[in-house]
Amino acid sequence: MRRILPLLLTALALSAHAEVDRTKKPEPGPAPEAAFPDYVTKVLPNGLKVFVIEDDRKPTLTLRLLIKAGDARDGDKPGTAGFVAGLLNRGTTTRDALTFAKAVDSLGAQLEASAGPDAISVSTSGLTKFADPLLDLFADAVLHPVFAPEEFAKAQRRTYSMLTAQKKEPRALVGKLMNATLFSGHPYGKYTTPESVKSITRDDVAAFHAKWFAPNNASLAIVGDVKAADILPKIEKVLGGWERKEIPAVEKSAVAQMGGLTIHLLDLPGAVQSSIIVCRTAPSRAGTPDLPELNVMNSILGGGFSGRLFQNLREKRGYTYGSSSAFGYNKDAGYFQATAETRNDVTAAAITEILGELNRLAAEAVAEPELELQRQYNIGNYLLSLESAARVATRVQDIDLYGLAPDFYKTYAKRMGAVTSANVRALAEKYLSTKDTAIIVVGDAKQVRASLEKIGTVVMYDTDLKSVKQAP
Amino acid sequence: MLKPLFVSLAFALPVLASAVADAPPAPARALHFSLKPLTFTEYDLPNGLHVILHENHAAPVVASYVLYHVGSKNERPDRTGFAHFFEHLMFEGSENIKRGTIDKLVSGAGGNLNASTSFDKTDYFLNLPSNQLKLALWIESERMMHNRIDETGVETQRKVVKEERSMRYDNQPYGSLFEKLCAFTLAGTPYAWTPIGSVQYIDQAKIGEFRDFWKTYYVPNNATLAIAGDINVEETKKLVSEYFSGIPRGAEPPRPKLTLAEPAGPQKLVVTEDKTPLNATLHVWHACDQRDPDSYPLDLLANILASGRSSRLYRRLVDKEQVALNVEAFPELFELAGVIGVFATGIAGTSLEKLDALISEEVEKVKTDGVTEEELQKAINQKEAELANENGTMLARAKNLANAHVFDGGTDEVNKQLDHYLAVKREDLQRVAKKYLLTDKVYILQYPAAEPKGGDAK
Repeated sequence: MRRILPLLLTALALSAHAEVDRTKKPEPGPAPEAAFPDYVTKVLPNGLKVFVIEDDRKPTLTLRLLIKAGDARDGDKPGTAGFVAGLLNRGTTTRDALTFAKAVDSLGAQLEASAGPDAISVSTSGLTKFADPLLDLFADAVLHPVFAPEEFAKAQRRTYSMLTAQKKEPRALVGKLMNATLFSGHPYGKYTTPESVKSITRDDVAAFHAKWFAPNNASLAIVGDVKAADILPKIEKVLGGWERKEIPAVEKSAVAQMGGLTIHLLDLPGAVQSSIIVCRTAPSRAGTPDLPELNVMNSILGGGFSGRLFQNLREKRGYTYGSSSAFGYNKDAGYFQATAETRNDVTAAAITEILGELNRLAAEAVAEPELELQRQYNIGNYLLSLESAARVATRVQDIDLYGLAPDFYKTYAKRMGAVTSANVRALAEKYLSTKDTAIIVVGDAKQVRASLEKIGTVVMYDTDLKSVKQAP
Repeated sequence: MLKPLFVSLAFALPVLASAVADAPPAPARALHFSLKPLTFTEYDLPNGLHVILHENHAAPVVASYVLYHVGSKNERPDRTGFAHFFEHLMFEGSENIKRGTIDKLVSGAGGNLNASTSFDKTDYFLNLPSNQLKLALWIESERMMHNRIDETGVETQRKVVKEERSMRYDNQPYGSLFEKLCAFTLAGTPYAWTPIGSVQYIDQAKIGEFRDFWKTYYVPNNATLAIAGDINVEETKKLVSEYFSGIPRGAEPPRPKLTLAEPAGPQKLVVTEDKTPLNATLHVWHACDQRDPDSYPLDLLANILASGRSSRLYRRLVDKEQVALNVEAFPELFELAGVIGVFATGIAGTSLEKLDALISEEVEKVKTDGVTEEELQKAINQKEAELANENGTMLARAKNLANAHVFDGGTDEVNKQLDHYLAVKREDLQRVAKKYLLTDKVYILQYPAAEPKGGDAK
């Protein structure tokens, strides 16, 4: 008998298609656990926090340094942090811009920096076998940039052109107008203009660097095919001598409360679609203790293909290619946004549907099957996201940047799995009231304005984001 | 722009090119290469479905990737956009999966899904926790076995696809670039239109045509299934057989052939659109197809021209002369044809003539003088880093393995790419530059800025 069994199994396997019950969804095996990967933390004597996430799936190494000062520290010269970031890899005390570029390119590596609202991020990525020269270049860019006047002048020129280009890009415009509207009066609401670029000097850029770039105002994540024991001494060698500084205290500015529902229409004549963002302010990342629960609530509304916005605006009505919603969190404040891009003649109808879905979430209890789907969607996709070591690194640095509980991600999946229908309703009431909402539309005013006025007061803007008088 | 993942097929050459003596000291050509080969099992089911399995337990996830060897180049000129439209219909449902529930099944299982259509292929991907492997096999086998197409779904998706076209192309500055490029340089071939196609043809198509399309191309003998991740190979083989073996083999799908006419002389097209913010220009030449051995030197040549801030065009146009905001060089190689292009967006106030002249000058230089050993080594290092980054996720692995099988002449090509680049010599770069970047065969597409003098430069 024992010898026959394997033969039988083979025979079964070959003709087994007849055995599958195609009419039913197959049952899953036991669910794997979403365990947040282990990582190594080390604080250097100069205060620099270093995190190492080992990952041998790719023979590469990525470093990401977060300096905890970004656009919000630009003061009255919006764009300054962006220039700091843009010029880090364009010349140091020992390498001019071209020498530096050649050195990075010859390793086949990338070394870039960018400014966000709360931080400047400096990243480099390359082959692990070039770790030593890569670390050397990385430290050089962070510690010894010269901000040469000629390189600054070139960057200024490029920025003017980028601003010109943005005036024709609906997505750039709608995002800028959202920030300007929600965070009016707060540093998050400021944006770069040709005038602000003109006002920035090379010395402003150097001063920003001198003021904010300090090991005790930064964190560094290292991800890749390295061992913490090997890479940490190398990091100490290149960044250990970076001197600790007194970091100036910053007064927190308050975000103005929103009042009422207003439509902010930026006129882009000739646009064949309207880019829509329905948005409102939300608490900061650290000020949102119910974030895991909020994620589940948000995905019922607008997460992925099964979210209500996608199902209603796309699959039911064919108004748009996609519609989704998300919370965004910064250090001082956050925001909620629901987006869609629709043809002109359904712009108002699409907004009405979005507002209706926001209201429905607070007014009606979500049924258990839909809620369970979204719990599983969130837990499962969180587990899938852990496949990316870079995402893990970002989360570890977020804990530090936003001051979250150290075990935040340890309990994350469990909390998303425990969300109840009552939780969802309460959260929707708290975070999604449409009474105080800004609706940002970038589109052809001639085509869409009249129908928007039936929804609420319309304020008009030009492509410089200047408020303009409503034309007759 | 869509860049093919895999550039080309193997050609037998020794692995290391000998260094050229007169070159300046080059960055060390590393003696060891760090790319780890992907292991895989592959076989055909009796119905012709090609199966590739890759086992890796780094995370409890599984990726499923199904590639159908059909894309926009299989369309009739009066039915452009058809393959992509059909991709949308594949999310509708099947005999056993109720209409509109595929995404809910996947989301509710903790996964995500998507699909894409390009010139030569249509592919469907699922990411799931590894305990949900059977769900992936069920959904993909159902779609292959009895996809359901009804009028309701067709009508809604017609609207959705129109919005997709507007969003991606019609409402974006330079959004028409790739469409114009194909129509201009690949006229007379099925690459003359892009996968999004023209909306009018989707409106004209009858429901029977969609069903015929599915019967012709969505057959197991025209498909490759790749599964990567936390799986057991033997167990998975058994499951794949259970779910897919019952799907009948179809007739061999028709394979388009094409002839590409050479341009009679340099060609120029001016695209005037109100939404163009800055002058931009594109130079394009016919190149080889993706399996041609020349694809490797061409790819490296594109890097030397415009990849990184020390590349030739970046240095000249962006840095030194400060006439361009950015510049890129790209080979866009398909199964049966290819082009190589250089695209530059001007700084506000720069004339198109200036941009065109500088691009031409740099292209002439590379043809006349070739490249340095240092430049070649730099480009190879860039490729090695790029390849090293390609196989990080299980989905990327499944995708790369399947594409190598269908388009590069063998699944194992996924592990041979670096060798092909290493075999390229300096002379090869000058040779392909002279062979393809012909002065009298160039197509130039200009996008003049809509506002006078290219906007409001300060």
